[in-house]
Amino acid sequence: MPENALEVAGLRKSFGSLDVLDGIDLTVGDGEFVSVVGPSGSGKSTLFHLVGGLLQPDAGSIRIAGQDAVGKRGRIGYMPQQPALLPWRTVEDNVVLARELAGTPRRKSRAVARDWLDRAGLGGFAQAYPDALSGGMRQRVAFLRALLSDNPLLCLDEPFSALDAMLRADMHRWLLGIWEENRRSVLFVTHNIEEALLLSSTVYVFTRRPARVLERVEVPFARPRSDEAVDDPEFVRLRRHITDLLKTEPLKGPLAQ
Amino acid sequence: MSESSQTHEAAGRGRVSGKRGLVTDVRREVDGGREETAKTQREVGVAETRRGVATGAAVRRWLAPGAAVVLLIAGWQAFTTLSGTDAWLLPSPADALAAGREDRAALLTNTAATAKLALAGLGAAVVIGLALAVVLHLVPLLGSALYPLLVVSQNIPTVALAPLLVVWLGFGMLPKVVVIVLVCFFPLTVATLDGLRRSDPVIADYLLMSGASRGQLFRKLELPAALPPMFSGLKIAATYSVVGAIIAEWMGADQGLGKYMIVAKSAFRADKIFVAIAVTVVLSLTVLGVVLLLERVMVKGRGRA
Repeated sequence: MPENALEVAGLRKSFGSLDVLDGIDLTVGDGEFVSVVGPSGSGKSTLFHLVGGLLQPDAGSIRIAGQDAVGKRGRIGYMPQQPALLPWRTVEDNVVLARELAGTPRRKSRAVARDWLDRAGLGGFAQAYPDALSGGMRQRVAFLRALLSDNPLLCLDEPFSALDAMLRADMHRWLLGIWEENRRSVLFVTHNIEEALLLSSTVYVFTRRPARVLERVEVPFARPRSDEAVDDPEFVRLRRHITDLLKTEPLKGPLAQ
Repeated sequence: MSESSQTHEAAGRGRVSGKRGLVTDVRREVDGGREETAKTQREVGVAETRRGVATGAAVRRWLAPGAAVVLLIAGWQAFTTLSGTDAWLLPSPADALAAGREDRAALLTNTAATAKLALAGLGAAVVIGLALAVVLHLVPLLGSALYPLLVVSQNIPTVALAPLLVVWLGFGMLPKVVVIVLVCFFPLTVATLDGLRRSDPVIADYLLMSGASRGQLFRKLELPAALPPMFSGLKIAATYSVVGAIIAEWMGADQGLGKYMIVAKSAFRADKIFVAIAVTVVLSLTVLGVVLLLERVMVKGRGRA
């Protein structure tokens, strides 16, 4: 039995008097697609900054593939909310960036970059600069860049939140297709319930700030999934369930008054 | 146009016959202007079919400034001819042109000397200015300590400092290069420093999460992000370098355009001073052109202006 890709236990973080994470327990199994949904401002990005080693937690542990990862950067393949591509690099040279940071020379990664760009339907854009690409295409490039990092765990931070609904559905199909091919371990943060249910095998529902895990929801649908899954009665039931969870969750802090 | 040059001719007829030549020159220049106008219109036409944008932009970009230059020179020529101003006081463009033709060998050596000095100064300014920007950026404490000093240094008049530099460093090349560096490094350092500081924080976050070291963050994000602003500073520095070289030569030099101007001034040869000014402008534009070319090669993707 391989190690879990990510194990987070009792994770706490506050900024001054602002409590953001209030004891988070969360596990991403090897090859598992796990989503975190929660209201905006529930500390989802803070969770990523902790897992990515940018921030130090006040308490709790983070283990990536069994190794202590608290405060350690460069252990994840990361896809931020905005594509964050280097505008002076071609698409191909952007895709190899994560490997380059880990010390693999650019020319050694170009072949595999081109291969993935072809598979992702971006083959004709390898030599283009990011400003020639549409928003959806830039997100695909950012995803491939994370995918090509040598780290087994991928962390995707609301990657499709800036896209319109039609494009988003497109991206879901595209992402599932690529994910089925190599089944990487994924931690996916979103505030879109349907997106979380469609993509993941486990969904963690977060409370408002300070965030705790409200419920851990198993998503039973078989893979490979198609977007028709959203019409399944069980899917509709789960969506209603999570929506109600987030709705009935009492207001806390200054908003409650 | 032809009506006005007839007026010039009529006005010139009463004067010394030698002035007739000038009138012909005016007409030639006016014709030259017409030729230029036709050429510009062709360029506009090409641009229009290629880009399919409004002619207004192309007119503004090429036709308007071209016409302004032609009109200025024509007006100047007309004024000197009509008013009969003495050539030693205000020479006509044609006088200056004649002086330049007559003195071309001396102009060539002096221009070469000034170009060499300007490039040496600009080169030193680039090395020092960029190194300074990088150090101030990488050592924030040093940055906050020295930045105000840097700004204050720009309020010291270089012309006042020049004699001191001669006292300290002698009459050789070194004090002149120092003057040029003092004039040129500031726009370069400030523009580059701003560029380094304003790199995209979202990309910086991405790079750090992906394990980038401080050095990698600098090489892969901050440095390339600072290239376009760096070139903005370099364009200003390049233009200043030639002017800086002229000022440096006024401190005492055995050759160069600055020296040529001083000699011409002592001899009351305003026409030669104007030639030297014209050559200085051309030299400045040439250095600027090289920088623009370099920018085209080095700045890629969105950073391109």
